[in-house]
Amino acid sequence: MKTSVFSTLAGHAKRQAGRLWALGLAVGLAASMAGSGPADAHGEKSQAAFLRMRTLNWYDVKWSKTSLNVNEEMEITGKLHIMDAWPVAVAKPEVAFLNVGMPGPVLVREGSFLGGKFVPRSTSLELGKTYEFRVLLKARRQGRWHVHTQLSVQTGGPIIGPGQWVEIKGDMADFKNPVTLLNGEVIDLEQYKIGNIYFWHTVWFIAGVAWVFYWFRKRGFVGRYISVASGKGGELITPLERQIGAGALAATLLVVIISYALTASEFPRTIPLQAGNIRAIDALNIPESPIKVEYLRGTYKVPGRELVATYKITNTGKEPVRVGEFATATLRFLNPDVYTQKVDYPEYILAERGLSLSDNAPIAPGETKELTVKVQDARWDTERLADLAYDVDSSFAGLMFFFTPSGARYEVETGGPVIPEFLPI
Amino acid sequence: MFKRKPNLAAGGPVTEAIEASPGLEGGAGANAPTLAADAGVLSAGARAAAGSPFNSKAEAAGLVKTADILLLASLFLITLGGYHIHAMLTMGDWDFWIDWKDRRFWPTVLPIVLVTFPAAAQAYFWESFRLPFGATFLVLGLLFGEWVNRYTNFWGWTYFPISLVWPTSLVPAALFLDIVLLLSRSFIVTAIVGAMGWGLLLYPSNWPILAPYHQATEQYGLLMSLADLIGFEYVRTSMPEYLRIVERGTMRTFGKDVVAVAAFFSGFVSILVYFWWWYVGKLFSTVAYTKEV
Repeated sequence: MKTSVFSTLAGHAKRQAGRLWALGLAVGLAASMAGSGPADAHGEKSQAAFLRMRTLNWYDVKWSKTSLNVNEEMEITGKLHIMDAWPVAVAKPEVAFLNVGMPGPVLVREGSFLGGKFVPRSTSLELGKTYEFRVLLKARRQGRWHVHTQLSVQTGGPIIGPGQWVEIKGDMADFKNPVTLLNGEVIDLEQYKIGNIYFWHTVWFIAGVAWVFYWFRKRGFVGRYISVASGKGGELITPLERQIGAGALAATLLVVIISYALTASEFPRTIPLQAGNIRAIDALNIPESPIKVEYLRGTYKVPGRELVATYKITNTGKEPVRVGEFATATLRFLNPDVYTQKVDYPEYILAERGLSLSDNAPIAPGETKELTVKVQDARWDTERLADLAYDVDSSFAGLMFFFTPSGARYEVETGGPVIPEFLPI
Repeated sequence: MFKRKPNLAAGGPVTEAIEASPGLEGGAGANAPTLAADAGVLSAGARAAAGSPFNSKAEAAGLVKTADILLLASLFLITLGGYHIHAMLTMGDWDFWIDWKDRRFWPTVLPIVLVTFPAAAQAYFWESFRLPFGATFLVLGLLFGEWVNRYTNFWGWTYFPISLVWPTSLVPAALFLDIVLLLSRSFIVTAIVGAMGWGLLLYPSNWPILAPYHQATEQYGLLMSLADLIGFEYVRTSMPEYLRIVERGTMRTFGKDVVAVAAFFSGFVSILVYFWWWYVGKLFSTVAYTKEV
């Protein structure tokens, strides 16, 4: 019975094989296309919260333009603070590369600089130091793209900085990328010698196909197999075919040798790939802050949207200071009493009213004050910083910015262990 | 262990002997099957009496021709898939990017890891069919797959210029390997001479493509080759520079002439790998696993 059912099904399937195949293909195509949309970000939220908070702090980040035409240039500038709180779970940035996070080369990177030095290769950065960075980009492909700063750390992986939407208008077909060679010749790197690549691959591809078909078309597989199996394999290849093979070998070697020689004469001066790290990057010379910050304790809600930290702050300066901002993991939590004007920063990581203090009065010169700082915003949750509870080291860190009435700004790295408060589920 | 030839006398459906035939031009099996009817359409009874499943020799020839073409296409796709995956997992970035095609690792790694499947394919095509195109056939499959990948994925979807992502040209080295087998009729000679040539030919046969990108340019006071510059400018977010394994090693006493040393070393190791993979090819050139099917 079973056999007959299966036989019937098998027979039916066999008869309908073409239709079933087409149906499967259609379903597969539909499934793969359904719900697909452009990627909006680069997975920064998936990185562990402690890693984002305690490795780097990008601040004063500015995108010179957010709307530009193909061939137009823009730059991302700012400062990069390498946190003293760098977690032991991540390799130190002794070999690191200043990178850009974007969906392919929609802009070309014309230059990237750390401490004013051109860094097309890896470099070494020190904990606790702050470096000025600048990335020079040129619009290549039309579209709206999310462009991030990024520092890649060997064995530590990419650490993504803040991202901004950049709109590029025009057509990539118009993109030009002129580069001056050492001999003075100017070439367009976008198209340079691509025809030559296609030419040589085509030449050798045709030669390879000709070789295969020369042998295949004469006797195929089946006939040859039967001959070999019946012990007549030795007769399958004629002396003439061997001579043709020898000729093909000679031709192959001649083409290789002659093309090599011609190329060597056309490009007599070539250099090897340049490798090796770039050292001695100058850090910013930041004067010692007159603000002493001692972290006492902290809690945060899981799931939730706030961090509450208590500090003992001493002002040894000559002016009163106020806490204006706490920045961590590319997020900026601002004290609206200090930041009274609109801040130019990507909205998804800017909490304009995200910082509040237990005592908003300025800390006078010489005064020591215990201050409870509440960092509260939905972004704390949407950027998954509350996931700290599931990290291997429940500690946070960030930069706290103090402001004086004369406009001076002091940044102080703060942070420490925090205790989660689990909300009832 | 390496038994792989079916017993043709063991009562298959075709009892006729199909001689080695002139192939597609005449059609493999175009020669008259010994027991098949000479012409015309036979009745079922007459076919049964003659012991042949074919109505005519033309039908037999057509079927053999179709089988040949199906085999060729199937083998191309199968080897393309297998070799392509193997290549991407082993040669990987050294072939993907122009700023990885250096003088030390590229000419060392690629021949060693890529001589594998061609050696196995030569064992199969030569031992079973006396066809001296195993290496070329495999390399054509690999390059076809690579070009589809580089053009549609790397350029079409991600906009990397082809100058950054062109695959290594391998056909000259493959032709060398195949023709050494053809002329020597010996897999030992092919391993020693052919695999050495396979290693040696990679760099010179690719130099016409690569050389323009090794011209020098100055960028902000730093010397860079165009290959370095292409790799730097066309941003690969997940490819930080430190991942590049290029121009490292201790062959400093050879100064600038490291390519030849790397190529000879590569050729030598390719010889060993060739032997090993020739036997892998023999091992898998069998119908033992599909007997039940």
